[in-house]
Amino acid sequence: MSMEEDKGFEPRIIGFLCNWCSYAGADKAGSAQRVYPPNVGVVRVMCSGRVDPELVMQAFAGGADGVLILACHPGDCHYKEGNLRAAQRHTMLVRLLGQMGVREERVRFDYVSAGEGERFAEIVGGMVAELKILGPVRPMTEVAYGGADS
Amino acid sequence: MKTGVYFCRCGTNVSEKVDPKAVEKRVLAQNPDARFAAVDFLCSEEGGLALAADIRESGVERVVIAACSPREHEGTFMQIVSGAGINPYLMRMVNVREQVAWVTADPGRAADKAARLIEAAVRRTGRQSPLAGRRMEVCPDALVVGAGPAGLKAALTLAASGRHVTVVEKSPAIGGLPVKYEEIYPSLECGPCMMEPLLGEVLHGEHSGRISLMTLSEVTGVVGSFGNFRVKIRRRPRYVDTVRCIGCMECSAACPVSVDNEFDYGLGKRKAVYVPFAGALPSVPAIDPAACLRFAGGDCALCREACPVEGTVVFDEAGDEVEVTVGAVVLAVGGGSSDLNAFPELGHGKVPGVFASHEFERLLASNGPTGGEILTADGGRPDSFAIVHCVGSLDARHKEYCSGVCCGYAFKFNRVIAHKIPGARVSHLVREVAMAGKDGQTLYRRAGEDPNTSVIRYRGIDDIRVSGDGSGLSVSYKGPDGSEGSVRAGMVILCPAVTPGPDTAALGGIFDVSLDKEGFIEELHSSTDPVRSRIRGVYAAGACGSPVGIREAMAQGMAAAGCALSEIVSGGFLDISPVTAEVVRERCSGCRVCVSVCPYKAISFNEEDKTAEVNDALCQGCGTCAAACPANAMRARGFTNEELWAEIEGFLS
Repeated sequence: MSMEEDKGFEPRIIGFLCNWCSYAGADKAGSAQRVYPPNVGVVRVMCSGRVDPELVMQAFAGGADGVLILACHPGDCHYKEGNLRAAQRHTMLVRLLGQMGVREERVRFDYVSAGEGERFAEIVGGMVAELKILGPVRPMTEVAYGGADS
Repeated sequence: MKTGVYFCRCGTNVSEKVDPKAVEKRVLAQNPDARFAAVDFLCSEEGGLALAADIRESGVERVVIAACSPREHEGTFMQIVSGAGINPYLMRMVNVREQVAWVTADPGRAADKAARLIEAAVRRTGRQSPLAGRRMEVCPDALVVGAGPAGLKAALTLAASGRHVTVVEKSPAIGGLPVKYEEIYPSLECGPCMMEPLLGEVLHGEHSGRISLMTLSEVTGVVGSFGNFRVKIRRRPRYVDTVRCIGCMECSAACPVSVDNEFDYGLGKRKAVYVPFAGALPSVPAIDPAACLRFAGGDCALCREACPVEGTVVFDEAGDEVEVTVGAVVLAVGGGSSDLNAFPELGHGKVPGVFASHEFERLLASNGPTGGEILTADGGRPDSFAIVHCVGSLDARHKEYCSGVCCGYAFKFNRVIAHKIPGARVSHLVREVAMAGKDGQTLYRRAGEDPNTSVIRYRGIDDIRVSGDGSGLSVSYKGPDGSEGSVRAGMVILCPAVTPGPDTAALGGIFDVSLDKEGFIEELHSSTDPVRSRIRGVYAAGACGSPVGIREAMAQGMAAAGCALSEIVSGGFLDISPVTAEVVRERCSGCRVCVSVCPYKAISFNEEDKTAEVNDALCQGCGTCAAACPANAMRARGFTNEELWAEIEGFLS
């Protein structure tokens, strides 16, 4: 892939945000008018524990270049421990997706509290920048040649 | 299926950055049948009326509101949509203000993101089904376990609101610890006097008709859940008829038996037919079958003969087990204290003159074993005291936490000792001093001003040795820098850590509430939900939840009653949200993964048809079970896989 093509590439990211902390954190970035790249389509779930690995797989199958799962900080989960389940599932997902040729950087799990608008914006900005370097998902190729950008 | 997309300009908040025309073009290109309308302020009264009218006239079946955050106005629009004749769960909000207009620099890309998010919502609503909540019958009555400050305050608050309350108390008397203490921190108020009005209200006040008091009773089992707990209570016989008894205590005077009184921590004696202490309420003695000669096979009937009211002493009274149905449960069984046997060097139980603080309280009480005199075992009046704070508290090897109440009563002792034995010297050995609160400092300041009082900081409890010789007691310690020191005293008082009580674990097991790492009943949230347990409808108040003083225990009792009143509203019905999990039984393989991941114990396993079952009254709709189910047999209503997938697909299209 040439550099010119890469420049125009805008990754599409599905962001699963828990209702109580991370979604509120994203809203906080909004009320602070903190500009960040518009690449993330937020899917609001009540709890990050709702994020079924199958949904993440489907997002990639449907053309997403990345998936972002944001949860309440450990100990802050509105539903007590859903965020910890989400963290466990993420570990599993990374390995599973790796076997299918999807790089670890494409599925990010992190914690954003209701007050952390700035953190939310930074996470989105960082992920978009990283995916721009990686380029679109090309399953198997990433594994076979050690990465999309190599 | 016709979808109405209503785009709120929010004045210019949204439209300044996201061009409604550009969005409309995109939406209609993807959904030619859709209706698109841009409105100025959808959340305003006129906006809402216009929205409802348009929904009715245009005949849309699904509604997408592109406006502010659903956290702001989802409830508003659910109501409007519902008023317009559409099931509110067929509506979806798109957050084009906080998550598009306010955070996107480029207008073209902002319109693109808004259009994608709207497409996601259009596809999602297409997969959504109408949902309806359920009305559940609930029992408005409540159970309170424990008749100390927290439990009684909860019971009275509930009864005053018209609820029937069953109060279960293990011991023969009510009132908890404060009725045993004569002068209470911080104002040195008399404990029994302070509690008397509360106990009077419970026993014969305006609302007492709604309080069923069961002393000598314990909860033995529970089935059911929030709104409908069926609780089994075992009542031990008192052998004295509480209705006939006039409280004259002639029976007790006639009883020939004398045993250690556990209510005085063994410092005093009681009869086999007894009240725990003078003034205990209800003022009806109980026969202790373990001590009574008659129950040991004798034919003593001196108490019955002494009783002026025939038929009051009933040797053949049997215990019974009753079942009550209640909607809510308040656990208020109090706390305990560190076992002083774990600190052998402190001499408790071995060196005469060493007392635990609760024992010392009984020495101070006029209805205690010494009639309120501070006396050592040999009858002498000590002229000096050493009070060892933090015994087991602030110590990683025992209890890491500060028990919070000890400094308060320890500096109270200072005042009481000065009153009773003027000129007595008091040495406080402390690790830290914690006297928070608006009136905490007064006693501490006074102690500091008292020339007979000294406060000495020690390094660790394991360095402290208490030893006795003929002339008194010696307490040796190490200071924070390791330097050795010692004080002499005629009496040593130990302040043990406040711990979970002896019954907390068993009771927690019966009600299935979880305990924290220290063994206290775990709160739903330590800051925002301190009296709710993790089991819906079960609340914890007082020292069974954490070390607290009387004031906090009372406040928590009221708070727990408030929770019960607001969750189990009167009228006997409760509306349950439809956004809960649901088992698709034909898909369920019975693996029980869902049962193990549910944080609310809302899922149980039906042994008969070998499938999972959701109790929607307990389910909070987090969806963790749906994500965990390997067979897709668990549907998170409102957030089903199909709905979320449609949303993902819509954004990516």
